[in-house]
Order: sequence, then structure tokens, then C-alpha cells
Amino acid sequence: MIVFGLFPLVWAIIESLYKRNAATRKLTFDPAYNWTKAFYDDRIWNAVYNTLIYTGVALFFQLVLGMLIALLLDSDRKGYGVLRALMTLPLVIPPAVTAMMFLMMLNGSFGVIAQGIIALGLLPENFSILGSSNTALAGVLLAEVWQWTPFMVLIMLAGLRSLPKEPFEAAAIDGATPVQAFFKLTLPMMSKVIAIAVLIRGIDLLRAFDYVKVMTDSGPGTATETLSSYAGRIYFGGNPDAPYAATIALITLIIVIVTSSIFMKACKVRL
Amino acid sequence: MSFKEYDKKTYIADLARDFSARRISKRDFMKKVGLAGVGFSAFSAGLLGNTRPFRGTGLVGDAAFAQDAEMTKWLKDVSGPFKGQKIRYTSEATPPTVVLDKLKGEFTEATGIEVEIEIVPLEQVLAKATQDVQGQLGSYDLYYLDQSWVATFSQDTVDPVQYYKDKPDLAMPGFDFDDFSKPLVSGLAEYEGKWVGIPFDIPIFMLMYRQDVLEKHGIKVPTTPEEFTAAIKQITEAEKANGMYGTGLQAKSGHYSLECDWTQMVWNEGGSIFGSDKKFKGNDEAAIRGLQLYQEWVKYAPPESLNSTWDGQFQMMAAGQSAIVQSWDEFFPGLDADDSKVKGLWMPAKPLVGKALRPTSEVGFGEIPNYAHQGGSVLGLSKYSKNVDAAWLFMQWACSKDIMVRCTLGGGFAPMRLSAFNDERVKAKAVVGPGTTRHLDMVQWIIDNNMASEPDMPLWAGFSNNEIPVNLGKLLTGQDFGGDAKKCMDTVAAAIDAAVADAGL
Repeated sequence: MIVFGLFPLVWAIIESLYKRNAATRKLTFDPAYNWTKAFYDDRIWNAVYNTLIYTGVALFFQLVLGMLIALLLDSDRKGYGVLRALMTLPLVIPPAVTAMMFLMMLNGSFGVIAQGIIALGLLPENFSILGSSNTALAGVLLAEVWQWTPFMVLIMLAGLRSLPKEPFEAAAIDGATPVQAFFKLTLPMMSKVIAIAVLIRGIDLLRAFDYVKVMTDSGPGTATETLSSYAGRIYFGGNPDAPYAATIALITLIIVIVTSSIFMKACKVRL
Repeated sequence: MSFKEYDKKTYIADLARDFSARRISKRDFMKKVGLAGVGFSAFSAGLLGNTRPFRGTGLVGDAAFAQDAEMTKWLKDVSGPFKGQKIRYTSEATPPTVVLDKLKGEFTEATGIEVEIEIVPLEQVLAKATQDVQGQLGSYDLYYLDQSWVATFSQDTVDPVQYYKDKPDLAMPGFDFDDFSKPLVSGLAEYEGKWVGIPFDIPIFMLMYRQDVLEKHGIKVPTTPEEFTAAIKQITEAEKANGMYGTGLQAKSGHYSLECDWTQMVWNEGGSIFGSDKKFKGNDEAAIRGLQLYQEWVKYAPPESLNSTWDGQFQMMAAGQSAIVQSWDEFFPGLDADDSKVKGLWMPAKPLVGKALRPTSEVGFGEIPNYAHQGGSVLGLSKYSKNVDAAWLFMQWACSKDIMVRCTLGGGFAPMRLSAFNDERVKAKAVVGPGTTRHLDMVQWIIDNNMASEPDMPLWAGFSNNEIPVNLGKLLTGQDFGGDAKKCMDTVAAAIDAAVADAGL
């Protein structure tokens, strides 16, 4: 706890209180400098916006698709076990490799996904999905949703299989349709499982970095820049301003804590 | 398989279910998920590779590649105290690095010093070097330093010329610092009178064109930006339906490659990045003309150019998607590779000559405006190295006459040493084929006559990797500035001038 949690946190807080001279690399104590700079930095607000959009959209699709697929796979019929096992495959592929795969598949000149979309007439010939500020975030989200929807599926399946059968049998006798049973029984009974799943994925998504770094490097411009990727660029982009990068990391942490606390309170999740 | 049996095999689902049902504690949950994470991370480590468009020639092991006997003897004589030491450095997959990685076994055999070369994309090289010098860790004994970082890292390396004098017992006989091309030394390796490292490779802008395509359309090889624009427009209009565009660009938003393209456009219009007053000049009239012309060029390049670095640009050339490109000379050997679809079709030419260059007396921070952007690198000896003498031996070996020639033969890239350019073995390979050197006469001419260099200043690595390419990306992809080049560069100017003033430069 001290090594992996407390020490880095305290270090980051201390670091954020210093101002770094980019030429001499000297640090001077100036507690308000980085926090004031962050407040007036348009890129931070853009990154906060992108991070929240990224998290919200990814969570929505992963949750909805995860539940739908879990409902489809929730069966003991022959072959379903294999299908469920196959669902785990995307999870064992490293995110960087997934990002590289999608980078190629979204290439406007030869990528299979891009060519498919172009063939449907939805985009013009040779259109660069990741090279356009209007579509780049959607391209990155595609990789994110593809890789992590199975995680939701597995959690939902585990939850579905643990539900008692009696209420469903009673509902069927009373003439409830499958849709009614889903909304009146399944969803309420699964609420805790869903909340845990959303919490775990939500915290992870708020720190989004891998796909953005590999597929767009935060671009075009800052169209896909998240808080983590911006902090990375500040530290690793040539002028390693560690104090400012630490400040951005702390802002990310604050957002994670605040949003997850609100969520846990609203959903009555206790850890 | 029953669901229960299957469920036992789905580790994460099990954990989540148990945790949500409160069958395991939060501590156990986190511990088990953490273990799974370690497993997945380890799996990923082996799957990442390099992306540099270089193709080796398989010459390692040939007679031409035999190590010089005198070199071997000297290495054996001086390396005794360092036997068993291990030195590390990280580099981009540049042609000389890839060949050197193959040859390093000879060094180890002669010295007993192990060499580990981590080959990663350029931005990761920068990240690793940055981390090392920030903490003065000495994790890397040598740094591969791109020319745009030389000033930034100048305080972190040992001056090799001085060290050569200071350590006569470890000085390689006949190393000959004067054999390095003078423009390379001044434009690449020196900062404020100090050699930050030894020149190691020199990608430089050169015009390359598809002779067959130009002949088909009756276009003469362009010599000016205006002729280039007209040519790529004509080719795009005629060939776009066949999947070919006039040119291909390395215009990836936020990437250094875009900044390289931009600087060349600025210089070609008689502009500069900084003025002698140390103010940013990328937003003056000349620079804006250059950027506007680049916006025009984007129309005649595959749209994927906006998401491509030099790797993507090379792929466009190799795949027959572009006909005239002004970019890195080191693409050339790959285009002539045996499995290339365009083998022998590309020709080298002098870079485009734009308006009169802005004199160096009117620019700042040692910038050298000219018609051929150089993207060279140096090998720097880390001040924080724990094996500095072993690393010094390797550095001299890697930059020696013998190794430079053999790296050139192995990869067809432009050597640093004048002796390598004139080596008979190198000249004999100036024919169409893998690892060709048929472009090197042109490259040498460009180095001697047209070589441009970016500013030498400690903040440049950041500006060239962040402020400039990020805002250029916003402009080119329409995220911001409404296509207004002036508005874009005014934003950059404000940020850069403030940072320069803040740093007290």
C-alpha cells in the first residue's frame, strides 16, 4: 500500500507544488503555479471533455452489448459453452496489439473496416477515419468496445447464472412476456452486478491511454486527447515537465474519485 | 461442458461474481485481478515490434562483412578490465541501428562486453532517454539522440572528442574525427562548441520520383515548390481513379514527422522558425505562405497522410500510391528491395529549391535554413553511465570507419564518414537492388550543399513534438482554426514565445 499507493501519491502532490524551468531543469517551490496553469489550460478542459465522452460512450456500448450478448449466451444448449469460451479471446490480446490491429483495419486505403464503411457509401473514397477530427474518437472507441465488451459479457453471464429460477417461473405462470421479465425481474436483480461492472470498467476508462496512444497519439490535433494521454505527452514529449504532468495525473485521480463516489452513492454500492 | 465447469475457467468472471456476492474480500479480489494483469502484461511484451521501413540485405556474414583484423586485436587489447560488463542503449529502428544490432556479436566476442540494444519507435526512445536523464539513472549507457534533441540532452552526455583526448589508453587508433562530414558535425553533433555525441545517421530530405509516371504524363522532374505543386495536381487528377496520388505526406497530427515537413515548407518560402531576436517566426508572411502551400499539397496526397508518419509515407511510395515525394533518403534502399512492387522505378533528385533563403544572421538558436531538412542522429555517451568506459569502447567501434562502411553495405543508408562514401565496396552497390547505394552520390551532394538544421535550444524537443505538430494537426484536419494558417501559427507563436521567455533564454 505504501509502495504502490501512498508514496507515489504523496510524491505527485509534492511534485505538483513546484515550477520547473525547461531550460535549466531547476525546480522552484511555487504551490499555485501548476494548478493555476491547469485551470487556464484549454487542453486540459478538452482532455476532460474527451475523457468523459470516451468513458460514457464506451461504457454505454459495452454495457448494452455485454448484456445483450450475455442474454444470448445464457443457455445450456450444445455449443454455447464453446461460444462463451470464445468470448474471452479478445481479453487476452494486449491492448497495444488490439490498437495496432484496428489502426490497420481503419486505414482508409486498405483497411477492411474502412473499406467496408466506404463500400456502404457512408464515407467518401479513401477517407481516413483516424485522420479526421470528426471520426477519430469513434475509431478509437471501436477498438475499446471490441476488446472490453467480452469482459462485460462474462460478468453479466456470471450474474445471470446466479439468479434464482423461482421468480421467473412465477412470472411465466402469471403470463409475463420475456421483455417484461427482463425489465421487471432480471434488471433489478442484476443491479448490483451491473453496478460493480460499470464501476470497474468506468475507473479503467477514465484512465484511457493505450488505444489513444497507439492509434492516434491524441490526434488529430487534440481530438482524442484524454487526461492520461495529455499527461503522457507533457512528460514524455520532449520537455519533461514532471510537476505539470503530476498535476494532470492528480486531476485525473480527483475525477476518478469524485465520479466513482457519486456513482457508488447513487447505486448504493459498498466496497 | 456444463456451465459450472466452464465458469471455473473464466477467471475474471468468477472473481467479479464472487466479489459482488461478497464471497471474497475486496483485498482478495484486487490481489487476484492484479495477478491476472501481470500475466496479460507479460504476454504483451513479446508482441511489439518496430515499424521503420528498413529492409536488411542479408549481407551480414559475407566476405565484405568480415571484421577488420586490426580492429579485433585492438578491442581485445583494451577491453580486459571491462569483460563481463553489459551496456545498454535504446534506439529507433534506423538502418544503421538495425545493421549494428546484427554486428554487435563481433564486438562482444572480441571484448566480452555484452551489448543490449532496445529498438522502439522514436517517441519511445525520447521517453526512455528523458526518464533516464530526469532521474540520472544510468539505465542507458548510450543515448540515440535525434538532431532535434541534441541541445536538450547536451548537459547529459560526455564530449567524445574531449574523452578521446582524456583517455588515450582507450582511444581507438585512427578513429579520425576529421573524417566526419563537416556540415554534419556542425548541424548535428555540436551544441555551444561541445560535441554532444558522434554523428550516427543522416536521413535527409531528397526528392524522389516515379520515372515511369512522370514520363507517362510528360512531366519533367520538378525543381521548385511551384513545379512540384503543378505536377502532383496533374498526377492526382489523372491517376486518382487508379489509386495513385501526386504525392504522399508524413502529416500525422502531433508527430514530429509533421513538424519536419512544415519546417521545410517554411524554409522553402524564405522563412525561418526563429528570428535573431529569439522570437518565433513561424507566423510571419513567408512561413504562412509555406504552410498554405502545404495545405494545398494535402489535397494531392492520400487522405491517410494525415494519420501517417514516415512509416506510412514509405508504405504509400512502396504501394504505388504516390508519384513524387520529398522526404527521407533512407527510404530508397527499401524501395529497391527484391520484394518491392516498385523496384527500380523510383529515382533520386535534388531537393526543391524555393525562394531565397533567410540568412543565418537573421535567425536564432543556431537554426540553418536550407532546402533539405536533415533528421540525423548522434550516439551520445551518458554522463550517468555506470559502465562509461565499456560504453565508450562500443561507441568508438560503432562509429569507426570499418563499421560505418559495413552498416552502409548492410542497409544502403547514408554514412557519416567521408571515407565510407568513397569506399569502393559502397560504390560497387550503386545499382538497382536490395540495399542499393545508387542514391548516395545525390545524398552526399545534398549534405554538402543543401543541408538545413532545426534550431538548437533546450526546449526544441518539446516544441517540435508537441506545440507545433499538435496545432498543425488541428489546422490540417479541421479540428480548429477554420483552415486559417495564420490563426494557427499565431497560437503556436504565443505559446512558444511565452515558454522561451519563461525559461529565460
